[in-house]
Order: sequence, then structure tokens, then C-alpha cells
Amino acid sequence: MKISYRWLARHVDLSGASAVDIARELTLSTAEVEGVESFLPHLSDVTVGHVVHREKHPDADKLSLCRVDVGQGEPLQIVCGAPNVRAGLTVAVATSGTTLPGDFKIKKSKIRGVESNGMICSERELGLGVEHDGIWELPAGLAVGARLGAALGLEDWVIEIDNKSVTHRPDLWGHRGIAAELAAILRRPLKPLDLTLPATGGGAPVGVRIESDACSRYLALRVEGARATRSPLWLKSLLLAVGQRPIDLLVDLSNFVMLDLGQPNHLFDARQIGSQGIVVRKARAGEVLKTLDDVERKLEASDLLICNGEEPVALAGIMGGEGSKVTDDTAQLVLEVAAFHAPTVRRTSARLGLRTDASARFEKTLDPELVPRAAAHLVRLLQVEQPEVKLAAPATDVGQWTSAAKTIRLRGERVRMLLGADLDDAAITDILVRLGFGVAKDGDALAVRVPSIRGTKDISIEQDLVEEVGRIYRYGNIPEIPLAGILVPPPRDERRRLVRRIEDRLAGSARFHQQISYSFVPDTTILKLGLQSTPHVEVLNPITEGASRVRRSVVVSLLPLLEPNRRRAAEVRLFEVGKGYEPVGGAEPTERHEVALVLARPARKANARFDDTSLALLQGVVEDLVRSLGFEACAWSRCEGTASWAHPGRATALRIGSQETLVGEVAAIEPGLARALGLSGEIESDVALARLSVDALLGATPRARRYSPLPQFPATRVDVALALPSERSAGEAKAALERSGKGLVSGLELFDVFTGERIGAGRRSLAWHVTLSAPDRTLNEADVKKFLERVEREAVQLGGELRRE
Amino acid sequence: MTHDAASVRALLGEILAALASAPESDETRSLRERLERFVAHSDDALTPAVLLEASAAPLGAMRVFPKEARGLVGSKANAIKQVAEAALAAEKEAALAQALAAERSGAGFDATLPPPHLACGSLHPITQVTRELEDLFTSMGWTILDGPEVETEHFNFDALNISPDHPARDTMDTFWVRTAPGDTRLVMRTHTSPVQVRAMRRLQPPFRAIVPGKVFRNEALDASHEHTFHQMEGLVVGKHVSVGHLIAAMKTLLRGIFGREIEIRLRPGYFPFVEPGFELDARCPFCTEGCSVCKRSTWIELLPCGMVHPNVLKAGGIDPEQWTGFAFGLGLSRLVMLRFGIDDVRHLLAGDVRFLEQF
Repeated sequence: MKISYRWLARHVDLSGASAVDIARELTLSTAEVEGVESFLPHLSDVTVGHVVHREKHPDADKLSLCRVDVGQGEPLQIVCGAPNVRAGLTVAVATSGTTLPGDFKIKKSKIRGVESNGMICSERELGLGVEHDGIWELPAGLAVGARLGAALGLEDWVIEIDNKSVTHRPDLWGHRGIAAELAAILRRPLKPLDLTLPATGGGAPVGVRIESDACSRYLALRVEGARATRSPLWLKSLLLAVGQRPIDLLVDLSNFVMLDLGQPNHLFDARQIGSQGIVVRKARAGEVLKTLDDVERKLEASDLLICNGEEPVALAGIMGGEGSKVTDDTAQLVLEVAAFHAPTVRRTSARLGLRTDASARFEKTLDPELVPRAAAHLVRLLQVEQPEVKLAAPATDVGQWTSAAKTIRLRGERVRMLLGADLDDAAITDILVRLGFGVAKDGDALAVRVPSIRGTKDISIEQDLVEEVGRIYRYGNIPEIPLAGILVPPPRDERRRLVRRIEDRLAGSARFHQQISYSFVPDTTILKLGLQSTPHVEVLNPITEGASRVRRSVVVSLLPLLEPNRRRAAEVRLFEVGKGYEPVGGAEPTERHEVALVLARPARKANARFDDTSLALLQGVVEDLVRSLGFEACAWSRCEGTASWAHPGRATALRIGSQETLVGEVAAIEPGLARALGLSGEIESDVALARLSVDALLGATPRARRYSPLPQFPATRVDVALALPSERSAGEAKAALERSGKGLVSGLELFDVFTGERIGAGRRSLAWHVTLSAPDRTLNEADVKKFLERVEREAVQLGGELRRE
Repeated sequence: MTHDAASVRALLGEILAALASAPESDETRSLRERLERFVAHSDDALTPAVLLEASAAPLGAMRVFPKEARGLVGSKANAIKQVAEAALAAEKEAALAQALAAERSGAGFDATLPPPHLACGSLHPITQVTRELEDLFTSMGWTILDGPEVETEHFNFDALNISPDHPARDTMDTFWVRTAPGDTRLVMRTHTSPVQVRAMRRLQPPFRAIVPGKVFRNEALDASHEHTFHQMEGLVVGKHVSVGHLIAAMKTLLRGIFGREIEIRLRPGYFPFVEPGFELDARCPFCTEGCSVCKRSTWIELLPCGMVHPNVLKAGGIDPEQWTGFAFGLGLSRLVMLRFGIDDVRHLLAGDVRFLEQF
């Protein structure tokens, strides 16, 4: 919202306070100021000139050759094309070096062979209007050579207020409201303004019938003899300063009153209202109204309409109907000033995407007491410009409204406690009185009378008044007070501790990069995963079409990142700790805390080691992670019922602890998905994915870390290879070796897996480094021999044999 | 040449003299000739190896000497041997010293050869800053809380004094979640503030808590606007908690973030769940005269805050006459950008490893 400094000065004496000063005061006490700009700064470069001589251009019929006195030395020779230029006129001259709006630089030039030293300007060229019927004929008597802005009193600054910072203050949506704030801050009086309706004739008033409680007050007033003439300069320039395009006196005054008092209003051509009078009612479903902006609006039963009897003529509080425009032949007007139900206006305006200066104000809940005041203001301003304007009939002022004025009990003690400031009751009273509140004693507290204009929305309880006192007193004057009290360590947040350890391990020794992703999953990903029919938490108004679903699992967020990153680097290691949501009908969704990991590497070479796969590596990372968290027994098994991203034949489940709690799954990527994600062909990739449940890890009990004595006797290492039928798992082989050790196996490491002719068809060989040790003695040849004999028997039982390496 | 050739010749001379008293024989002659050849050697030719030979010759032919001379010859020959061994040791030491010197010279070493690249992992910058703040606040006895990202309309709005027709609901650009008519209405939380009321219902005052987390706004993306970003809510409820306490806490927070005293100012700001409500500006930590970060104003709008609205305390089951409190909402994403000089908010969640590996 733009506020004009000069406009404010109509309401409060601003001498000694610059626009920048005011901006700072408002910032610290009232609202956020986004900037201060000079209004039409070139007006102080343009000079008042006097045309001392005019003759026809020797070489062009439509051009004039003028000599213009600009108060400096010899009169300037200027070529002018305007039909109304003539000797004796006082004009606005842009001399060479001046820049006019549109970055139009005035330079000395030759026009049709004749030198021209500047330009005599029209109002439009100066940015002051739309008229372009010749140069601007300034009032005679302006000092020649004076700066135009100063000479006409047009110098102004525009203060931009952040609308969001005043959504709670309907009173600040007009200049007088801002001026009242400044009056309180600067300790200056607000200038009086006569807002009583002038005397009216005794004719028949406009009939008004309110059929909806969404209109609490409606004032209609017949205005006779008003004409849509051009607005005077003072009015045009103020409107221009705040970004309003001047149209004609009637429209401009209507806008002026809105921007001055914050109360929107509307002028109808009386012929439109006709004899049936005004009816304020809710729309009927399917009803249509073409608004002033020439758009057909489909209405709903919640919309409020102004009708001439039956036909709608305006969308209440938002915009007039197309036919309601005041035209040149309008002889009689009907002025509408009303109070509408804020949410009704807000909902209609939001639904239609039609936000106007009027709707922005109405949706803030305006003071119904403003209604007659705004009407009076408009009529009085109009009569100054057009004294012949008459009010033939009394105003119709109907409705059921209640004043928002109220009295609130305020305890000085409460003010001092909440602000932490040492303000006595007298200082509190002083501030409130300056803000226009009435203050009386109420026992040991204060009875504060809140005027209606402040009471509609912002001020309803004691704490609201504390804010009033604080902001005028200035928060910067409040001393800082350290928080005191008995410090009790907050309860240990186990999940946060666990997550930190997970993050540290993965970003540390595992060398993964942590990612934090959007929670929304693009439909393209959903389709690739085939999850279209899986229920998701879904937003109704996604940021882009096709990104409405909220992830159920964090892994899904990492999938789209694989291809672009793999394209840039051979190896991609990413993890994310986050939340997934599963919808629950009728209640809040189930929230899951998860760790997701992805590892993508170039496709595996044919001669790579058996465990040189992304899946094996990622299992290693996950196992290390889980061990680092204190979980000892890790058991891998084939994963049944795999996730949509997991390779159905190459998925593993990890269980930990004596309860064999399932904490997650690690799998190669589903092969079709890999192709859909672009991880085949040019950047053929070996991809593994993992999902760990933070909730499951939290639920499992880690083994308490305990020291185990270092072995006192040296261990013996023996390598064994078991050639077993292919369907025998490594897990079975491992168990067989452990059994054979009878407690002496202290280390088992698989170092080779191979198949081939030497082993025999349908068999594969698993080669292990086995470490044997005993706590109480050094093992000897005989121990090893017995071990190998037992291994041999186990191997045979498994349908294979022991191969001595 | 570490040994004295003259003394060696003198020793040989004494052995030759002893040999002169021995009866002449082929052996005697042969020994004399050998010894005389050694005596005739130039100084340089008398290497430790030659000296060893020179000492071994008489020792090996001791029986040609008369009995009474053998003792003398033996001692002289051993003296030569000692000289040889000492010289050998000295030579070895010199060679070692030379070898070490050669090794130490570092000849052929190129300090600019790039070391092997051990690609390390990284914690997300949001995690890093969040942890710093968590550590700062827990050290002052604050609790860290978590809340759901998919939130009920009640906690996100109603309990925070934002009624259904409140214009603030529009400015929040809410993502609404599809629910069946009559079911609990859900939103993607537009701020971390809903955890305020959740906290009040869970904790007994007095308490102090922060809530870091992800929030969502239906906003068009550009370099400074994201529809998903991170905030950190702070909430203190206690006896006689005042604006003065809020100011002190915020200054502590900024000291923790920037590592030094930062001037702040509070100015009015409107948020329905606080009264009075403030915008907190910090003196720009990057300039004194105005810069691009502070848009030439020397102030940075850092966070909204205020005294908890009595209606919010009531929604949390806390009597506003007994207890008061303050709350603030720190823009974590923005702070992360300030901290690391990130110029485009969209990098934060984009998952480009080239971005992530910088932290």
C-alpha cells in the first residue's frame, strides 16, 4: 500500500519530519515500511517558464517557434508542436539535461532546421495525467524560473507499507489512520475534519432493503448536479502518488475517500437504480453478473449482491456491475457507503480471484461507524469542487450494526510484567490517550475505552492494549532480562541421539552425502514405481500438476536423483533421514521415521570379485552402521514381500538382536525401474537401495558395550573351501563351519566364491579364512586336524565336500 | 683417509726389523717383500682393506719370527688391524651419513602431485546449522521437540488463534490435504508453530523448547522462495516471562549463530498467535554501510516473534493469568543461506552431489 507524505500532511503537521523519518517511526511503532521513493522526481528539474514570443516555424505549418523566459539570461528558443501554445502563457519547460518519465532525455536539438533548447511539456509528458490535448497551461502568477514541483506544491514522497503487516489494522488502510498513528508517535494533534453530512432537501430518499445479514449497514444518498469533470491538480497528483490513475472527478473523489478514510464506496448512475430502490441480497446459484472489468462472473449462493430491485448491479464490496458506470450524461448519482461481512467479501473475492482495493479493505472488517462519515466526506469534497451539487433527499442509512467501541480493563501491573518495562500508570495512560483511547481509573486498574474504529478486529483483550503501549513506548527501550530459573536437563531425546549417530556414521566412515528432499513425490516417479493405486497423503492444490503425493517412504525421494548425479560422477552415495506418511482414513496419517540409502556405481565388470557389487557394499555399510549403534547379532535373509523399488530376486532383510527385530531391507534396484530411471545403456549402473526404520532401531535394545579380555594365546588360521550344491546358502556353510569349531571359531571371512569345471556342475565353492583360538591354550596340529575332519563330515552332510586349499 | 699412514708404516717397519733377525728362507723373503710392498704403498693405496691384509700377513706367518720377537710382532700387527677396523667403521658411518643426506635431500619429490581423492561424505548444511542451534539451546536447558509435517487444521490454525475466516490463512499459502468430508482436516504444516500447542499439552510449565523442522507453503519457486523449507520454532512458558526475556534470549541466539554480539531491534509485526508480535531485525553481520544481503538497510529481517497469545495458551491447557511466554520462528533455510553464502534456496533440497559435497 502506497502512502503519500503530502497526503498525510493534510491530517497532521509533519514539519521537521522528513518522509524517511516518518518511515522509520512507522517501522518502529506501527507497520513495516518497504521503501520510500520520491514522487515524480523530475518535477523539481522542470522549470516554470513564460512564453514571451511565438511565431510560426519557418519550415513547418504545425510547429511553433517560441521564445520562453525561464528566468535565466536570454529567453530560450524552443520549437513546440502543441496547438495551444501562445505568447503570454505560463508553461512547464524541460530544459536540456532534464529526464522525463520513460527515460526521455531532453537535449538541445534541431527541428526542421531550427534550434530548439528544450521542451514545453504537457501534463501527460510530466506523468501527471492522461490528457494530451496540448501543453499544460499553468496558472498565471507562478514565479518564472521556479522549480515546477515546488511552485505547484507537488513535491511528494511515497511510503510503501507492507500490506501483510497491517492485515489486522483496518484503520490503517487510509491516510487518516496512518496520520493518527503519526500524531500519537510525534505527540502532535490530528487536524480536525468535518465529517458530518451537509443539510439535505426533503425529497424522497432512496429505498434500501437489506435481505442478508452479510450487510450490517447500508447508506444510500441521492446526489444531484454532479458532473464527471476533470479532477483538480491537487487530487490528481495525490492519486498518482499512491499509484491510482485519475479518471474524472467523480471516480477520483470516490477513490480519494477510500484511500483517505479506508472506507470504500460506490457511485451509481441513479437511472440504474431506478424506482425500485436498492436490494442487498445473496446471489442465487447460477446467477451471472458482468463486472466493470467486462468479465462475466458466475455467482454462488454465498456471494452478496447489490440489486436494483431484482437485477444485480454490483458485487457487494468488490466491484460494480458493468452497467453501473457513471457516464457523461449522468445527471443524478446514488452514493453507496456500506458495511459488509468481511468473510463473505473475502470468500467471494478469493473464489473469483478478484481482489480490489475495496475488497482488500472490506475483508479486514471495517468500522460500521465509518459509513456516514465517508459519505459526508465525499459529498463535502464534491461540493468544494462543484458548489452546485445538491442533496435533494435525506440519506437512507439502514441495517443492524453494533458499534465496535468497548471498554477493557487494563492492569498496569500486567503491562509492566509482560513488557518487562518500568512504566507507571501515568505513562501508560499518556500513550493510550495519544492513540485516541479514553482512559479512566477502575480501582487499581485502568478502564480503557476503545473507539469503534480500533475495536472491530485488532483490540479485544487486555493483552492487545499491552501491545499498544509497548509499540508506542518502543520495544527498543525495554531492557534485556536473562531467563532465570532452575536448570533441569531436558529429558534425553533418544531418537535425536540415534539419528545423529546414524548421520555421523554415514557421512563419516561410510562416506555418504546427506540429502534432504522435498516430501512431495512427482507422479512420474509414482508411475515408474507402479504405486498409482497405493494410497498416499495427497494435497489438493499441488505446486505443479503431478506433484500432489506425499512420500510414504524416504527411499522414493532419492530415486530421481540417481540419474543426474550418476551422469556427473561414477559413484553416487546418498542418504536421507526423514519422514514418510501413510494415510489413515479419518485420522492423522501414520508417520514413519526412516533412513534411506542409495549407492550407484558403474555396471559390474565380469571379472569382479564376488562381493564387488553395490548390493554387497551397501549391506556392508548398513551392517557397519547397525554394529556401530551397538547391535551385535546381524542376520541377513532373503527379503519376502519386497518394496516396489527392490529387485524381487535380490533383496535382503536385516534382523538384529535376540528378538530378531526386522530393521530394514537392502536390495538391488528393481531392473525395470533402473531402466525407467535412465540408469541403463549409456550410464549402465549397479544400484543398491536401503531402507532402515529409525522407529525399529529405537525399539530394539542395543547390547551394552562391555570390554572383552584380549586373547592370551595366539590364534591359528586355516583356509577351507567348501564345494557345495549351488542351492546351499553361504549362511548354511557358515553355520556348518561354526558347528565344526565347537566353540573354537573366533573369525570367519568368506574370501572367494567360484564355480566351474573343477568344482563340478551344480556346485559352487565357498572359500573361507577361518580363525581358531582357545582362551586357555595354544591350539596345535591335532586341533586343526580334528576341526577339518568335522568340517569334512559337515560338508558331506550338505551334499558336498571339503576342498583343501 | 682417516688413519695415519705414517704410523702404520712405522708399525710395519718394526715388524720388518723383527723379520731381519729371523733366519732367511723363502717364506721370510716372501713375507719381507709383501711387507715392503705395503710400506711402499702410497697413502691413498693404504685402504682399510689393504691394511687388513697388511696385518694378516705377519699374523699368518708368525712361526718365521724368532720366538722372542713374536710377542712384539703380534702386538704391532694387531695395532695395524685396529687401525684398519676403525677406518672401516668410519667409512661405513660416512657412507650411511651420505645415504641419509641423499634421502633427506628430497630430490625428485613433487609436492604438487595431487594426492589420491578419498571422496568423503557430508552432513547436509541444514543438519549442520540445526545441530549447532540444538546444542546451543540444550546447553541452556531447552528441550528439542518434533512434530508432524502433515498436521491437523486444528493445530496448524485454530489452536494458534487463526480462525477459519482469518485473512492470515490466505497469506500462509496452505497446501490442503485431501480428506473425506467430515474427517479431520489436514494440511502440510505451514510453520513449526503447531508444535507450540502440542508442546503445551505434553509438558508442564515452566518449559523451554525448540522445534526444528520442515514446513510447506504453496509459493512459486524462485531463487529466494521455496514451497518446502526449514524453520525452527522456539517457545518459553514460565512465570513472569516478558518481552525483556525474549530480547535477551534472541541476543543469546544471535551470539550463538554469529559468534559475537549482534545488535537487534524489535518492531511491531502481526501474527495471530502472539500479542504483542514482533519482527526481529539483526544488524547486518556482513557490513556496516549496507550491502546486498541487507538490501542496503544495514538491518536483516531475521525472525518473527512475540508474546504467546492468551488464546494459544488456553488452547494448550495453560492458564494465561498464571503463565506467560514468548515464541519465535527462525527461518533455518534462510540462516543456512546466510551462513554459507548460498544465493539460491533451490539448491538446498535439489540433491545435486556437487552442492552437497561442499559442506
